[in-house]
Formats: sequence, C-alpha cells, structure tokens
Amino acid sequence: MADHYEKKEEEEEEDEIGEQDYKAQKDALIFAIDVSNSMLQPPPESDDKKADKDPPVYAALKCAYQLMQQRIISNPKDMISIVLFGTEKTKYGDEQNLYPHCYVYTDLDIPAAQDVKSLRGLVEEGEDAEILMPSSEGVQMLHLLVLANNLFTTKAPNFGSRRLFIITDNDDPHGDNKDYKDKAITRAKDLYDLSVTIELFAITRNDEKFDFSKFYDDIIYRDVVAEETNPRKVSTSKSGSGQTLLNSLISNINSKQTPKRAYFNNMPLELGPGLQISVRGYNILQKQAPARSCYVWLDGEKAQIAAGETARIAEDSARTVQAGEVKKAYKFGGEYVYFSEDEQKSIKQFGSPIIRLIGFKDRSQLGFWASINKSIFIFPSEEGYVGSSRVFAALWQKLIKSKKIGIAWHIPRMNGNPQLVAIIPSKAQEDHKSGADFIPAGLWLYPIPYADDVREGPEQVNLARTTNVLIDRMNKVIGNLQLPTATYNPLKYPNPALQWHYKILQALALDEEVPSKPHDTTLPKFKAIHSRCGEYIQEWSRTADEVLGMIRDAKSIKREMERDDEDDEPKPAKKSRTAVKVSSAGINNAELKKKYNDGTLSKLTVAELKPILDERGMESKGLKKSLVERLEEWIEENV
Amino acid sequence: MADKEATVYIIDLGSTMGDFNNGRTESDLDWSMRYVWDKISTTVAASRKTWTIGVVGVRTNETKNPLQEDGQDGYEHISILQELGPMNLTSLHELQGLIKASDTEAGDSISAIVIAVDMIEKFTKKLKYKRKIILVTDGEGSVDPDDFFDISVKIKASGIELIVLGVDFDDAELGFKEEDKSPTKEKNEKLLKQLVEECDGLYGTMAEAIDELEIPRLKPVKPYKTYSGPLTLGNPDIHPDAMSISVERYFKTHKATIPQASRVVLSSQAAGDEEMEDVEPTGTFAAVKNARTYKVNDPEAPGGKKDVEFESLAKGYEYGRTAVHISESEYNITKIETTKSFTILGFIHQEKYDPFLNMGATCQTIAQKFSDADALKLSSLIHSLQELDSYAVARIVTKDGNEPTLILLAPHIEPEFECLYDVPLPFAEDVRNYQFPPLDKVITVTGNTILENNRLLPSRELADAMDDYVDAMDISNWEKDDEGNRSLEYAAVEDVFCPPLHRLNQVIRHRAIYPDEPPPPTAPILLKYSNPPEDLVTKAKSKLADLIAEANVKKVPPKAKGRREKGAKPQPISGLDVDALLNQPQNKRTKIEPDNAIPGFKQMVEYASEESEIEDAAKQMGSIIRSLITNSLGDSGYDRAVENLGVFKDTMVRWEMPELYNSFLTDFKKRLLSGELGGDRRELWWQMKGARGALGLIDQSVSEPSKVTSEEAAEFFKK
Repeated sequence: MADHYEKKEEEEEEDEIGEQDYKAQKDALIFAIDVSNSMLQPPPESDDKKADKDPPVYAALKCAYQLMQQRIISNPKDMISIVLFGTEKTKYGDEQNLYPHCYVYTDLDIPAAQDVKSLRGLVEEGEDAEILMPSSEGVQMLHLLVLANNLFTTKAPNFGSRRLFIITDNDDPHGDNKDYKDKAITRAKDLYDLSVTIELFAITRNDEKFDFSKFYDDIIYRDVVAEETNPRKVSTSKSGSGQTLLNSLISNINSKQTPKRAYFNNMPLELGPGLQISVRGYNILQKQAPARSCYVWLDGEKAQIAAGETARIAEDSARTVQAGEVKKAYKFGGEYVYFSEDEQKSIKQFGSPIIRLIGFKDRSQLGFWASINKSIFIFPSEEGYVGSSRVFAALWQKLIKSKKIGIAWHIPRMNGNPQLVAIIPSKAQEDHKSGADFIPAGLWLYPIPYADDVREGPEQVNLARTTNVLIDRMNKVIGNLQLPTATYNPLKYPNPALQWHYKILQALALDEEVPSKPHDTTLPKFKAIHSRCGEYIQEWSRTADEVLGMIRDAKSIKREMERDDEDDEPKPAKKSRTAVKVSSAGINNAELKKKYNDGTLSKLTVAELKPILDERGMESKGLKKSLVERLEEWIEENV
Repeated sequence: MADKEATVYIIDLGSTMGDFNNGRTESDLDWSMRYVWDKISTTVAASRKTWTIGVVGVRTNETKNPLQEDGQDGYEHISILQELGPMNLTSLHELQGLIKASDTEAGDSISAIVIAVDMIEKFTKKLKYKRKIILVTDGEGSVDPDDFFDISVKIKASGIELIVLGVDFDDAELGFKEEDKSPTKEKNEKLLKQLVEECDGLYGTMAEAIDELEIPRLKPVKPYKTYSGPLTLGNPDIHPDAMSISVERYFKTHKATIPQASRVVLSSQAAGDEEMEDVEPTGTFAAVKNARTYKVNDPEAPGGKKDVEFESLAKGYEYGRTAVHISESEYNITKIETTKSFTILGFIHQEKYDPFLNMGATCQTIAQKFSDADALKLSSLIHSLQELDSYAVARIVTKDGNEPTLILLAPHIEPEFECLYDVPLPFAEDVRNYQFPPLDKVITVTGNTILENNRLLPSRELADAMDDYVDAMDISNWEKDDEGNRSLEYAAVEDVFCPPLHRLNQVIRHRAIYPDEPPPPTAPILLKYSNPPEDLVTKAKSKLADLIAEANVKKVPPKAKGRREKGAKPQPISGLDVDALLNQPQNKRTKIEPDNAIPGFKQMVEYASEESEIEDAAKQMGSIIRSLITNSLGDSGYDRAVENLGVFKDTMVRWEMPELYNSFLTDFKKRLLSGELGGDRRELWWQMKGARGALGLIDQSVSEPSKVTSEEAAEFFKK
C-alpha cells in the first residue's frame, strides 16, 4: 500500500489527475446469483440451433466467467467475488453457518488463475454441480446483504467503488413477511452508508413482469448528484425474440461493467466573461496496454510477486537520501539550474483549472492532421452552477446545427499545463449488436497541437501526378471496398497484441496448451478483397503502367529539348532538378540502374552513397564495400 | 551531419560601451549582452558537442590573439576570450567574468572579423559546418575599410554568415534614427553596412534583435521516418493482383518535450550546513538515483515481509493475482508475432468519422523517393480518396515484432505536395462503456420522455441567445492580415506556441545567466490565447448579456456542498422513510460494531438527539481506529483505518463539529509516532500524509468553527 501512494507522488509530474482523496481508485464487485428452482429451469426446448439452452443460473455464471476474464485484462487491480444465494449449502470462509444459504463461491479478491479455472469447470464441465442445489426454505435477503457488507469492509477496505450486482428472477423474496423485509431494508441502508451501490439485473420469462416495487425499490438507492450523469436504467433480461438470455444479460451487465470515474469534477466551463457553468470530464478513450512485467520470487513454496521499493541515493557519494533533502533542478549545459519550491510553482502557474472559450470556428478549419492526443469527453453537472445542463445542451445543439467548434484554453488541474482545445459536439452512436451507445452525446475536448508539435515534412522530390483515368480506376476499387456501413466501429477490432498477451498468460497460468495462432480481426480479409477487387486493381495497375510510359517519354523529350536550348532561360523545372543533383542524393533509380550496369556504382563516394541508401529505406551504416553491396542487391530486386 | 555549428561572437568592449544611452537604465554593453547571453545560453542548453562557440573581444585593454603574436600589425586591443569549442554552464560563467567595458577606445572591428574568420577556418577545416560570425558594436571604434574586398571574398568562400548588430544604428524600416550621432558612428554604420552587403550577410539594430528574443523559437527536428516499405491492398504474396506501392511514413505532429526537473541533492561537499535551510543553496548538486529493493511476504519475518535478492528473481507477469513466471528463453511468448507491413482494410466515408476518436499524433505518408511509378500510384489513391470523400482504414506494423496499430488515412493535396495523413484509431478495449443520459430530452424515473419545459433543457429563448452569441464570437477569420483586414484564421496552429515549454526555457536560461535575479515575467505572446480577443468580447458584449440573462445560471454556494440539506436525506427509490424504521428503538444504534463501523457511526451521528451522543460516537470511532492499528499485522489493517479516518473526518465536517476530529487526530498522532499502537507505525503516517490533506486536521477554510488555521493544518504533517 505504501507503494501506492509513492507512485501517486511520482505521477504528479505526468499529466495524470490525482484527486485529493484518501480512497484508492479501485473497484470491488460482488456478483450475487440467485439459485432457485425457477432459476435452474432450462428454457423450453426448441429446434432452432441458436435457441437458448442455458437455465438462468448458468447464463449468469457464464456471464460472470466472461466478466472475470475481461476484468483481468481491463482492470487488473480490481476485485471480484461470486456469491450464490438461496443454495442448500452455506459457505463463508471457515465459518460455516454465519450466513445461511449463502455460498461464497469466489472470495472477494483480485481473481487468481485458479478462480478462473474452477469457474470454467462449473459452467462448462458441470463440475461441483451439487453447489447449485437450491434450498427448500429459501434465503433471507438480510443474510446476503450483511455478507456483502462484511466482504466489502474486510476484503476491500478503502476502495473508491464497491458494487453489489444481484441477478434474480424473484421480485418478491419475502412476500408478506414484514420482519424479514424490514431487516433487509435496514441492512441495505448500511450498505448505502458504506458507499455500496446495488445494481439489480432482473430476469423475466415469457410475458412475466418483474415488479420492482414489491421489494427492490426499497433497498436500492439513487445518489442524487451521481444520478445526473448516471441514469438508473433497470433493464430486465429475457430470452426469446432472437436474443439469448446470456447475450441479453451480458450486454446489460457490460453497460454497467466499468464504474464510471470522472477525470475531473466541477470544472468551470467559461463561455464568456461572467458566464460559467460546471462540467465533468471523462476518459472515454484510454489506451489499454498489457500490464508491465514484474519480478517473481520462485524460491518459496508458492511463486510470489516481489514488491519493489525505491530508495533514493545520491550519485556522487552513494549515500541514501532522505525525502526532505531532494530538490528539483533543471539540467542545463551539463549542470543543474535550481529554483526554490515557490519559484517552481510560480513558473508553472498558468491559472486555476478552467475550460475558457476564446471563440468559435467552422468545423472545416480543424485540419485532419492537427491531432496530437486523445480527447476528453465532457458532460454538464449541476454541482458548481445550477442551470449548467440547459446551457450546455444549448451550446451542444448550436454547434451541431451550425457545424461549428469552440476553441478553448484548458487547464486540467492545479499547476497543470495549459492546452488549446477544440470543443467538438458528438451525437450518440449506437453499436448495433449490443444496442448500447458506444459514443455518448456530449462535447469533447480535442487537443490542438502547438506550433512546437508540428514536424517539418520530408522533401518531396518527384511529384508524378495522377491522371483522371487513373483516378477513375482507383475509384472503382475504393467504391467496392467499403467497411460495413462505411463507418469505423472500434468495437469490431479488439487489440490483437493485448488479446494474445493475455491468452498466452491465461494458458500458462492454468497449465493449458498454448494456442498456436492468434485470432486477429485487424487483418484485412484478403480473399474478399481479391474476389471483389482483384480485377479492378489489375486494371488500375495496367493504366498506371501506360501513364508511366507516357511520363518517361515526356521526360526524355524534355531532357533532349533542354539539352538543345541550354542557353535559353532556365526553366524552373530544370532548376530544381539540377539543384537536387548538387545535393548529392539526387540520383534516380534509372540512373542507379545505369551505374549498376556500367559497374560504376563503386565510384560513388560514401557521402553520396549514404543518402541514396537512406532515401530507399536501407541501413546506411558500414564500410563502403558493404554499402555498395547493399545498393546492388536493392537494384537487382527493385529496379 | 549538417548539424555542426561554429559561431564566433565579436563583442565590442570599448569604453564607450559602458555608457548609458537613449534613456536606457543599463549600459550599452549590458543591454547588448542580453541578446548575446540569450543566444549563447540557448546553445548551452542544447548540450551538443558539435555546436561550438568562440568569443572575441574588440577594443579590450589587453591584446591576445595569434595574428598579433605572429607579428602582424593592426591587431592590437583584440583578445580571444574563448576559443571555438563546445560550451557548458561553467564556461559560460567564466566568460561572464570577462565581459566588461575596458578603458580604451583603440581596436579595429574589421581586424576582429579577420581573427574570427581565422578561428573558424582553423577549427572547422574543410568539414561541413554552419559557420557564423556575429559582431556586436556601438560603432564608435575603428572600422578599417581597406581590405573589404578581400575579406568579403574570403568570408563568402568559407561559407560564413556575417551578422552585424549595432547599438542604436539607424534603421529606415523601423523608422529609427539616432539624433546627435557622432560622425565616427555615422561613417562606421555605412561602412559596416557595405561590408555586410558584400558578404550577403545580415545587418540589423540591437533593438530589433532584443525584441525578437521574446518570440519563441521553434526547434527544428529532422524528419523522423516511422516506416518505409510497401503499402498494400490485398496480399501480394497470395494474390499477384494485389496493390503494392512503395512508401515512406514520417511524423507530422509529435509532442514537443517540455523540460522536466530532475531530482537532485546538494552535493556532499556542499552539504553539512543543514540548519541553514532558508539559505538558497548555491553549491553544486548531485543527481539522485533510484535503487530498487524487492520484498516478498513472509509471515515469519518481522513486519510480515522480507527482502529478497534481485538476482534470485525471475521475470513474469500478473494474471489476476497469480504470478506467471516466464523463463528467459520464452520471454517473447506473450508477444504477438508480426511482420513489418502496412495494409489497407477498407474504406469509410469522411462524414462518418469524428476526429475525437483520434488516439494521438499524426503521421504523413509519401511515395518512395525517386520512383515515378510509386509516386504516380500513390497520387491516384490520394486523389481518389479526395474525390470520393473517403478515408482508408489501414493496419500498420512499423517493424517486425511491433504491435499492430490501426490507423485512418486521409488524402492531402497541395500544389507542390501530396501525401496521406494518418491518425491512430482506438481498438475495442480502448473505448470505455460509460452511459450518459441524452442531452435533448429528459427521461423520468417512471420512463416518460420530456422534450421541453424542463430545467435541464434549454428554452427556445436560451437556444436563440446561444445561437447569436456563438455567431458573434466567430474567430474563423478574426486575425488581421498584412493590410489590416480581418481575413485570417485566429489561433491557427502555426501561431500558437506551447506556453509551458517556452516559459520554462526562458526562466532556465535566465537563471543560468543571472543566478541572483528572480525569474522574469511570462512573455505576453505566450498568454495571448488564454482569453478571448478583447475587441471581439467588446463586439459581442450585448449578445453575451442576453445569453447570461436567458441562461439564468446560479453558482452553488460552497457551503451547501458540504452539509446535506434537511429534507434531502437519502431514500430508496420507493421513497420509503428509512429513517423512521431506523429510529425505532429495536433498530437504533448506541454501540458501533467494529465490523460495521462506517454505517454504524454515520447512523449514530445522524440520529443523535443530543450532542453528547455525537461525542460518544466519535469516541467509539476513535477507539475502533486505534484498535484496528494495534491489532494490524504489518500494514494489513491500515486501509480500513484510513477509510474510517476519512469517514470520521467527512462526517465531522458535515456536522460542523471539527473539534471532535481534531482533538482525536492530535492525540492519535502522538500515540502513533510514539509506537504506542503496536510498534513502528510510521508507514501508516506516510500513507496518511500521502492522501495530501484529505486526512489532516479540519481547518477554518473547510469548517468555520474550527480553531485550526490552514497553516497549522499544513504544519501538522511536517512532523
């Protein structure tokens, strides 16, 4: 834990926002599945191959299995637990009968490989099926709630997010038993006070209705502030109408999967002097990368990850340095330039956190190339200014209507670096498969590069322009190779490197056979391209050759003409070509070929050879002999 | 290669340079040196061995140069203050000591130029260098025009750029003309100008040069090639009809690095006087290195952990909480096998892509140089994308074994330049599934949809006012062109400099040259875009007033955020009165169970009818926290204790009873640090400190009744 805070300190320098909070930014999730006769009842038989075969309990377990694997990748520090309730058996640590008919199948912790393995055994191979035996007397919800309270308090202390997912088809567990119900209600209030969110995933069959008012509306709370940005959408999952219960459950749970964490809260958005509203920022886009490698200690009974600790040591004397002694200085000309702490602060001070609009532009003025970093999503919040939502919505509507963008000066946090951002509106975009929005409606802070961030382009020495015929040929190719709905949908492309990394890790962790080939959706569908466009590409290729022939002819004629009127006014084209030649690298492939045929390549100097190799993407280091050899090989293959 | 530089500064140190002129409060020399030091320190900052600097003083008291030593005439009162070579901060400070106005007026500027040329020739030989001579003078010394022709031929032949910067030289362009100029100066100005023109050099006034220092300089970076090889459509290895164009891909944008401060300590010779903390350290610094040690859990070791040797550790990864060890030979097993490639998946419509999906910086792709065939083919792809308003989605692996990335290719056509720009696209895992309510309607708890007349939705009038205001604040062409017409884009990329980058560079250079002066103010040009243009705000003033009136936004008073309003107590969705239930005697809590401490504490305080009950709750909470720590094995109980502390504090802030928490915490600190709570608990103390004030004393800025000031609260954590 000490490590955790130390890291925080180190990250201060980076552009991360550490909220001033004592809580760990981690999520603990208890997945509670109701085990009852109706939950175990398989769906009616059907001839349809795609029809549901899973009883609700199994669908829920499969969902949990999938979720567990996903979270290992996406939230490696977060905890998950699976609790079955209503079971004949009872299990909670070593204490057997503390919470009758509640069975802690996976203890609340970061999942271990073994947890994944046994869960798979349960759902796929039907192992341990006796656990899934429903009790005859049912369960008191009180026990489930106290159990959850206990797990959260002891296993996930100080977590910033704690959630209890309840999956059930029973909308009235206690019927007329007021005492049971009241006890559950008081215990639910405890959970609320412990900052636990209860999410209900109701399962219905046929035309049944799940009546929330019977019980669950009394134990589920809505947070007034969070509600503005987190509408409570209780969704019921059902099988039939072309969707399996499992899929419906997965998409319902997925939409709640990640606890929504704001990147910044109560940020003023200043539309003009004297008009501010408050917004929250969200990191909807976040590059996921494999977790860093770690060091494993193998000498004990069980392999263990060794926790690293950093001590600071002065380079000159190798003595250990106390935290208070460390100062910050800038390297300058081989030495250090020092500023006092107060000076450091004042130098970097560009004002307090803000999004300040400095004007509006046409959307077309934002060049495609003007991109430097990912964008932050912002959404109104009434926490700082009452009325923020309507003003925000008005701005959003106007920007969409007039195809405009805002330009704003943005400081994301105290002492943060200012960034010029474009404010771009988004309309909600739905993923067709899951039906959930993957792009919400709102505004985005799009960072605009500074002049300092723009690199000079490479020199373009030859500009052979296309002809209209050739464009027409290419148009056919492009017209026939549109992606579905002519849109880029990121959800269709899992990161192959990331998936492969965890697939292998999983196989190693579970002692399974390592798969031989990754499933990679980012690879083009070569066959389809060939069958749809092979012919068009060939046509295009032939046309290109014809045009090329014409260009060569034209060039040689031009060259002859130039030779003829050497005394005439030099044409700009000629000037640039000679200029290139002087810069030693201006040898085109045809000339190289000629030199190669004449065997005069070795007459080029090293200084001349290097740029020639460089420009053709070859290694330009080494002795002259090898440079010439490399160039010869290249000419043989390419010219 | 072309990066090598040899620059010789010739500084006029004649006695007249010590004069104060034209109302300036510093001498001509100090003023001129502002420019020179800035230039030199920029070179020093770059720390490049191949950027060399030499300095020659003219009209110095002494004479120190090889030509004079060779017995040639006319080189008196010229001293080489620094031979050509790389510079660091130490040599800069040494040089500073040498730059002083002398007592003489003798010494010839042209001779100094000859010496500088000689220095450069000897140093650079025939190698490739950027050669430069910068002469800084007030034009009051001698300028001998006899050998102008020979000198200019020589300078041009050696490829040297001659720059002359004069103090208060006349400048027709700037409209500056010095009154009562001395005849010598007037003559010299003309001569120097003539020489510069003969050498194709630069001639300017000091004032202009110093003004330009404020304008940030862009650091040129060589084009960086990220990929070179074929761009394909289809797979040429399987289907010979696939498309393949040889291309090169370069950075188009790349985040310029902002200088980062490094951790240092006073070097051990200088340390020792630790009591003199208030004194600014002037000694030298030593870098701080990180030494990592590794620990594993061991129930038998004191504190539950023991050190392990780094050598005994194997590399591995975490899968959940399972450590997966991977042997050295198999280390690449989790890396996906890839081969270098750049291939198109398909095409999309431009209007169906939004730029906020971009994951980072841009690159540009051009055809392989000197190949007409590839240039032609790429050109047809670029033009076709343009005609069809399309982008291409492509997969790129920049090197064998690198991770594949998906990028979006866009056409770009200029009269003399064509390329494909590309930005990285997000993968499925990079997009987080956060749900938000719609902005154009409100969905109520009961599931009804409301489209208007709701406090969360804009009224017609508000929408109109916004419409007018946004249009009035248009900066699409607010920047003035050379003729003063507003025809140019305001805040175009090329006009906006990175403020922290240039600010830091400015103050670091300044501190390096003038260690005792406070940092200078931020240059206005860096803050130009921090506010809307003033004249535009004035223009749009009435529209903004209308918008403010329609928006009717009210700031939430800071107090209301802390204390929960009466009547807005949390209730379940059904609206059931949970308080009534909890207030029933059989449910009411008087004792807080340690295992349910947070809800118990909150509820006991909430339903207290007398203050003494709150005091009792605080007492119980305090003792629960202490026993959590006393009974903690190693750090196992710390997180629970920290959470309880946080809730304790927040609750006391909300109920405006800060003293209860403050007195507990003061006592707690004593016990904790004295080892009374089960031994050495300093690690917990660090952890509390790390939460940065979130667990410290409640001060007056947070809760009015508190007797603790913010300073005292900050002091509390400083032992």
